[in-house]
Amino acid sequence: MANSKQKNMTLQQRKYQQLQQKHEIKRPVLKNCIKAFFVGGIICVVGQAISYFYIYFFDFTEQSVGNPTVATMVFLSMLLTGFGIYDRLGQFAGAGSAVPVTGFGNAVISACIEHRTEGFVLGVGGNMFKLAGSVVLFGVFSAFVVALIKTLLVMWGVL
Amino acid sequence: MKVIHYWILFACLLLLSSCSQNQQVKDSQLTLMKTTNPSPIMTVKNESKSQVKEIEQDVSAIPELYDVAVIKGKKDTLVVYKVKHLSRFRMKKIEKDINKMLEEKYPNDNFTISSDYKIFLEAVRLEERMKSAKFSHQRAEKRFNDIVKMTKEMK
Repeated sequence: MANSKQKNMTLQQRKYQQLQQKHEIKRPVLKNCIKAFFVGGIICVVGQAISYFYIYFFDFTEQSVGNPTVATMVFLSMLLTGFGIYDRLGQFAGAGSAVPVTGFGNAVISACIEHRTEGFVLGVGGNMFKLAGSVVLFGVFSAFVVALIKTLLVMWGVL
Repeated sequence: MKVIHYWILFACLLLLSSCSQNQQVKDSQLTLMKTTNPSPIMTVKNESKSQVKEIEQDVSAIPELYDVAVIKGKKDTLVVYKVKHLSRFRMKKIEKDINKMLEEKYPNDNFTISSDYKIFLEAVRLEERMKSAKFSHQRAEKRFNDIVKMTKEMK
């Protein structure tokens, strides 16, 4: 809490704050980090296996295999969200399941499920990118900025 | 409900383990995961292998690499390698250095260099096919040209 707010508190409020802090359950940060590390790692291993599958059985090279792998991972996470499995995984692993690209699929589908009662067009269609929209926007914008910097560096002969 | 999950898991494990019974594992099946060191090959008939072996030894001597495949065709020589994990940050520099070294040492040859797993896999597959008598040198040359084309498309 900000210091200015603490100054304005009455004695009773301060005592209550102290009591509350005493009984507050502390966040298990290290435990959460370990869970996120392992679940995120497992998701990446699955992604690596899928990319090897595409390299082995199809004509994808190491450079071009990224697109189908990402598409497959997002599709799988969408299915798992629909079945209610990814939500449980998210509750357990937190950032470990939200940060990989599978979190994007989860964000899209969970918004769809939440708003399906409002109809397919205004409900599902209108709110589909409510959570994932910011990811798309900042992703496209940062890609544009990086591409611009690279183009300038190539033009100036740095790269 | 949980019993059904265990049964499904058990059935999957059983199916997967039965798939690997009595089957000879080829190098190409595991090449993405382990070191295979395929022997250098030539798609041209009746030519000495000494130069290709020398090229392979030269490239293998580079400490950042751990698996090298060399294929010599009529016009091109394909050199494919795997880079050690921590050296993968310097992939472009390594490629440049190898190219420079090979061009200096073998000025009459035309080299195509790649560190792509797919190209490595295809090189190992070609090597395995060439071991069989049914696979002619003409077909090998055609496949080799396809691999070289695939490598050039990536650049």
